[in-house]
Amino acid sequence: MLELSLFVILALFIVGGAVATITNRQPLFSAFGFLVSMLAMAGVFGLLENQFLALAQIMVSVGAVVVLNILSIMTVNAKEENLPQEPYKYRWILLSGVLVSPVTFLIYKSMSMAYQHFSTLETVNTKVMGETLFSAWVLPFEIVSILLLSAMVGAIVIARKKDVIAKETR
Amino acid sequence: MTPEPFFFLAALLFSIALVGVVSRRNLFVIYMSIELMLTSTSLVLVIFSKVLGSADGSVMALLMIAVIAAEAALFLAMIIHLYRRNRTLDSEMCDELKQEANNA
Repeated sequence: MLELSLFVILALFIVGGAVATITNRQPLFSAFGFLVSMLAMAGVFGLLENQFLALAQIMVSVGAVVVLNILSIMTVNAKEENLPQEPYKYRWILLSGVLVSPVTFLIYKSMSMAYQHFSTLETVNTKVMGETLFSAWVLPFEIVSILLLSAMVGAIVIARKKDVIAKETR
Repeated sequence: MTPEPFFFLAALLFSIALVGVVSRRNLFVIYMSIELMLTSTSLVLVIFSKVLGSADGSVMALLMIAVIAAEAALFLAMIIHLYRRNRTLDSEMCDELKQEANNA
């Protein structure tokens, strides 16, 4: 009963944050909805008894991604006239919501038909996760490290000002 | 507790984010919707890890969080670059390649 009520509260936060993200006009308010959604998602990871992933979610998604997102929204600091004009926003959201809802139902049915119960084995703890990560999954782990390095270099190159590049190559 | 409500939450979050991607034109909102879709996918991986009692799904979700971080860096750099070029956050303005094709 406690689990279910915790789940309902967290699910309300996630769905409310997601709806706030896609409906707000100002990107900063959307970012706060996104933050609420990500924090509640860490709570759901904790509810699934996966403490390490809950911590990683808070540290990476909330601590790094959302903060970087809010910082770039504040850096861009778009004025009201620079935001896109979306006069039929709610109509579009309603229409695409109606179109997407059968897909939602299909995804939910196809996943929930496969497995009805949680496993009774208690094998997913941080120790087992670490052993699996560094034995069977060590190659994807290394590939992810290369991906992060190349994303960092690529982000610096893309976001750099053009005249800085011209000055350095001269 | 059964896994069904968790599956429903993941499907619902994915659909809300999909609606955000197709119906909004603000680049930041599109970016955040893509992040929400990726997060709902990692939620599915964690649920399956608990359903099957195997750590593989959790490890995949952990790698996915790293991919989300890489995507955040690239996408935000791209938004800043596009804002500097066009002075707008409207995704309708990112059509230089389309215009070139029409003129040629």
